[in-house]
Amino acid sequence: MLSDGGRLMSWDGHLLLVYDNERQRRDGVAAWARRGLDLDAKVVYIEPPQESAERSFLGVLKEHEIDANDALERGQIQIVPADASAYSPTWQASMVEAALADGYPTVRWSGEAVTAWRVISPAVHADIEWATDELCHTRPVSILCQYSSGLARTPTQAVFAMHEDGVRSSQLQTSPIPGGMAVAGEVDTCNERILRTALMAACAGITEGQGSFVVELSQVDFLDVAGVRAFMTGTAVHRGSGGTVCLRAAQRRVDRLLRLLGVDRAEGFVVEGPR
Amino acid sequence: MTGPGPIASGRFSHDLLLHDGHNELVDGVRAYVDQGLASGGQVIVHGAEGRLATMREALGSRPRLEYALTSDLFPTPMRTLFATQRRLAENPEPVELWAAGSVPPIDDRASRISWTRFESLINEILGPYAFHALCTYDTQTLSGRTIAAGRATHPCLSSSGCRTSSPDYLAPAEFLASPLAGVPGPPGSRPAVTLTLYSARDLKRARHLVARSAMSFSALPVSSIDGFVSALNEVLVNGLDHGGTPVQLALWVEPTRLTCRVLDDGPGIQDALAGFRYPEPSGPKGLWLARQLCEDVYARNLPSALGGGCSVVLTAN
Repeated sequence: MLSDGGRLMSWDGHLLLVYDNERQRRDGVAAWARRGLDLDAKVVYIEPPQESAERSFLGVLKEHEIDANDALERGQIQIVPADASAYSPTWQASMVEAALADGYPTVRWSGEAVTAWRVISPAVHADIEWATDELCHTRPVSILCQYSSGLARTPTQAVFAMHEDGVRSSQLQTSPIPGGMAVAGEVDTCNERILRTALMAACAGITEGQGSFVVELSQVDFLDVAGVRAFMTGTAVHRGSGGTVCLRAAQRRVDRLLRLLGVDRAEGFVVEGPR
Repeated sequence: MTGPGPIASGRFSHDLLLHDGHNELVDGVRAYVDQGLASGGQVIVHGAEGRLATMREALGSRPRLEYALTSDLFPTPMRTLFATQRRLAENPEPVELWAAGSVPPIDDRASRISWTRFESLINEILGPYAFHALCTYDTQTLSGRTIAAGRATHPCLSSSGCRTSSPDYLAPAEFLASPLAGVPGPPGSRPAVTLTLYSARDLKRARHLVARSAMSFSALPVSSIDGFVSALNEVLVNGLDHGGTPVQLALWVEPTRLTCRVLDDGPGIQDALAGFRYPEPSGPKGLWLARQLCEDVYARNLPSALGGGCSVVLTAN
């Protein structure tokens, strides 16, 4: 039976939040902020200076009944206006060091890609994204980057690749694991493109000659024909160049779908399971 | 006029043996079983409890010959058909299957509709494979309507070792559209759950709602409920993609049966036999998958006098 389990994966690291609508965006930002406050992290949020009360970070916290007053007063939560300096790697690095010097165990920040694109070009923003991915893996830093999706415009493979710790969306989450990725949630026609792009990015990222790409499915609660298609097309390039894809630990109902649709017999796939 | 000749190995056949006596039945089945075993195929004889014992006595125990109770087949005839289709389509070694069986007890309209639908769809679902069926109909106990449906769903008649083409045979698409087939409908009671879907983003809510109601109010095993929910998801996706929004869902939950009706306002299904044949590697798979995961998926276009649109009824038991 389908669980109502909600989000299964952590809100730490360099994450890509893909949302179809404001509700999904605000729910994601709130969960991410709550995690930061639980960790006593320094929480920095970049937003347009004239952001509406409803869309603003403080509006999101209020809506989700997260009490932010004390944290704001002592500077744990900091709202940064989106101007050129907010996107300068130098400023970001010094902000991180200052927060750590103040005794915060970890630092996290978030903002919307469209906000950045009003200040800097998408190309410059992409360079900064790559640099911050590095920062997340060398310093105690987590970053949540918010990208709008809609069925018509899922972020590109490059955008997925630069967020090495995975995607967070309302029905689907991914996380890197040694030699592959773990998938969680419900995969259907709504998020087929997200999964396909995430798989393409992750497959392209594995060292050539390594050959095998592992997908851990134990937290996938639902999969349909569109989801199976995402697994086929998202790994097609990797399998076409001689690589294999191991689908591991699927729940019984997911395993049944994979076998009925012949994934276990398809070129380059190994289906191990069910769990 | 040339007849169909003897049953050809390596191809599909589906014969009707009408009998009014025991000897006629045993002789007919024996000749069929002999031919099946001689072809090197796997042979299975279905029967009701008493008659199966008689058959076993008459035919004996032989390698590659199995006996099975019709009552094991009947609760889920469509699922059995599709399991056979997958076995034949996916087996890397060619297999030749020979099945003989009698009509299960038909005591109401619903079971007659379900059985005749099964008899007609065998021709579509297993038509491309080396599959043979000999269906024995007892003219003394079965109704005239059931016999007429039998004549319309079997391409060949078998009598005293002689095969003739059935003059009343209708190809599945024609049969299903004929009055002989009947229209299975949802229960007459009020649905337990109704929901309107406006986009694919409503699918998750629909799945959870149906799964929760089925778990709470039916005694079906979790695997059947999971299969039903997956089948429904594919039908809803089809409705949203091809029928247009909104799509209306209604669910009836009985202790051992789930029924869902999905209505859309679209142009309807063009091919009445969509999703019965084993799917092509790059072809559409949703409807075929739905048919694998529950007992039946009955799609029909509603008459334009009633506003048109498409109705799909799914059942699990």
